[in-house]
Amino acid sequence: MHWNHPSRFTRILTGLLALALALPVLFAADPVVNILETGSSLLYPLFNLWVPVYRRQHSNVRITTQSTGSGTGISQSIAGLAQIGASDAYLSNAMEKMHSNMLNIPLAISMQMVNYNLPGLNYRHLKLSGPVLAGIYTGSIRYWNDARIRSLNPGVKLPHHVIIPVHRTDGSGDTFIFTQYLSFSTPSWANQTSYGTSVSWPAVSGGLGAEGNPGMVTAIKDNPYAIAYIGTSFENAIRRDRMGIALLKNRAGNFLLPSARTADAAAAVMVPKTPRDERISLIFAPGRMSYPIINYEYAIVNRQQGSAQTAAALRQLFGWAISRSGGNAPSFMRRVHFVPLPAPVVKLSQAQIAEIQ
Amino acid sequence: MKFRHLIAVLASVVALALLAIVVFLAVYSWPAIRMNGAGFLRRNTWNLGNLYSDPILRHGREVMPGASYGILFLIAGTLLSTLIAVILAIPVGVGAAIFLAEAVPAGMRSWISFFVEMLAAIPSVVFGLWGYVVVIPFLGHHLYPWMAHHLKFIPFFAGHSGSGYGLLTAGLVLCLMIVPLITATLRDALVTQLATQRDASLALGASRFETLWSVLLPGARRVLIGSSILATGRALGETMAVLMISGNALNYLPRNIYSPISTMASFIVSQLDSALQDPTGIAVRSLAEVALVLCVISVVVNGAARLLIYYHGRWSARMA
Repeated sequence: MHWNHPSRFTRILTGLLALALALPVLFAADPVVNILETGSSLLYPLFNLWVPVYRRQHSNVRITTQSTGSGTGISQSIAGLAQIGASDAYLSNAMEKMHSNMLNIPLAISMQMVNYNLPGLNYRHLKLSGPVLAGIYTGSIRYWNDARIRSLNPGVKLPHHVIIPVHRTDGSGDTFIFTQYLSFSTPSWANQTSYGTSVSWPAVSGGLGAEGNPGMVTAIKDNPYAIAYIGTSFENAIRRDRMGIALLKNRAGNFLLPSARTADAAAAVMVPKTPRDERISLIFAPGRMSYPIINYEYAIVNRQQGSAQTAAALRQLFGWAISRSGGNAPSFMRRVHFVPLPAPVVKLSQAQIAEIQ
Repeated sequence: MKFRHLIAVLASVVALALLAIVVFLAVYSWPAIRMNGAGFLRRNTWNLGNLYSDPILRHGREVMPGASYGILFLIAGTLLSTLIAVILAIPVGVGAAIFLAEAVPAGMRSWISFFVEMLAAIPSVVFGLWGYVVVIPFLGHHLYPWMAHHLKFIPFFAGHSGSGYGLLTAGLVLCLMIVPLITATLRDALVTQLATQRDASLALGASRFETLWSVLLPGARRVLIGSSILATGRALGETMAVLMISGNALNYLPRNIYSPISTMASFIVSQLDSALQDPTGIAVRSLAEVALVLCVISVVVNGAARLLIYYHGRWSARMA
């Protein structure tokens, strides 16, 4: 390149340099707080609805969201790599003892569906129970027309085809609540496999592992005769792909679909039992109309943030997120098929949010 | 400092890095090695235990109740998928190298060679994505059911043809990833062999095929073995592509060639986050033990192949 006016070029360059030097000063006047949210693929769609709306009101906060699985959310939040670890599971007693700075703050209530791809039968809601699902995931129920599935679904012509049970391979809150449902309803599952964000899945020939809720959706869509557990924030995808949604047997013996009504019923029973640190399982709640797999969606947060600004930004964000006029507004909740936090839980969460310093 | 000293320092940094990694893995995984014992290599259990109950004491160490670690299924998945990949890749790679060195007009040779080498440059995650989106639906819904029906007389080809995720798919995609390694090196070896040897062979009345088979290929045998080792090493350690297409089997051995598997490298990636949930830390240390085993297997495979080249060289020298 040939410059005819080197003096002008120099002037432009000096100007740019001056601007570059001035930039940090300009921004220092209005510091931007960066917040990284990572974890639960179930909470991810909700955060993505929240962030653009929240940013319009709070331009000084920049929130990045990632769908990595609850396991990653928990470990990155503990390690201080992320400010918010989104998780469908609360920390275990042993973890809480080791990392006593970590708060478990419920942001909403979620449900989990059991979905299947049974060609020709997906429009029907099959009835399934904890023991039958445990049978499928241990391999003792191999075929869709097994007598134990048939007896729950009289009149449905089930195919003689091998069931493909799909489980999550990443550390997952969905695995946590699904295996809790199996553990609480089926003693043999509780003894052999128990529950956790990742469990030692019994070897089932042909069984598949999938990454994240999106991976689960793809896995059952691509594999006829597969069955999977998927968070309700993916209900729209499930309906679009025309996959089946099961009626699950609750503690009272009724078969129910996940819905705001059945989740509310279960929450109503469990909310009074919620302790101050809010670590409690809502799975397999008593009550005639209680859907058996609901859970608090947690933000795993360190109560000792590095800077006061970050702490203030987090308190403000969470305060907004759990309020009925903010993030828990029906307009948000309905789109991801979540249920707003009941008022007593909002109080408990507010008390925990105030501890972030 | 002389240049010679400078490069000596640089070279020793590389060697020390390897040593440091192995020592780190051994030291870090030592508590797991002691707890898991020799059964680690023989058992088919990867069980973090009940993470939501309290740790118990076992042999003076805190562990989660029910925790048990065994990786036979990972070793099997890793070795079998690599074996399939290498078995398929050698004939394809050799054929392609011969074609490029001998059959393609000189003007086009560099172009086609360029494309083969570009195949080696594609990041593995791209192979994984392609395998996930394109290969698996085709194999799972069309080819595997057909194979399971028509090739059921071959051991391990009969039985449930699965969903497309699994051993053979991993082997096929790994094969595609390592073919260019073999082809590119072998082609160079064939092309650069002395033109006089070729001319002499042709002058003696040998056909082109005889020249290739009896003169050129034997001369390139060491290169073939060497590049196959490199290819094996890559297949053993491949992570992302295998993670996306292997079906991530847990705790069982493949029943047939279509069965889901897991490999050691992909397992480390997929299980690290779960392992971090173990407050006793044994899970992460057991993953480090998996990495150590993978290192040892790679070193053994490399060493065995080097011995092969060494003895092959001595044997050829004696024959000559």
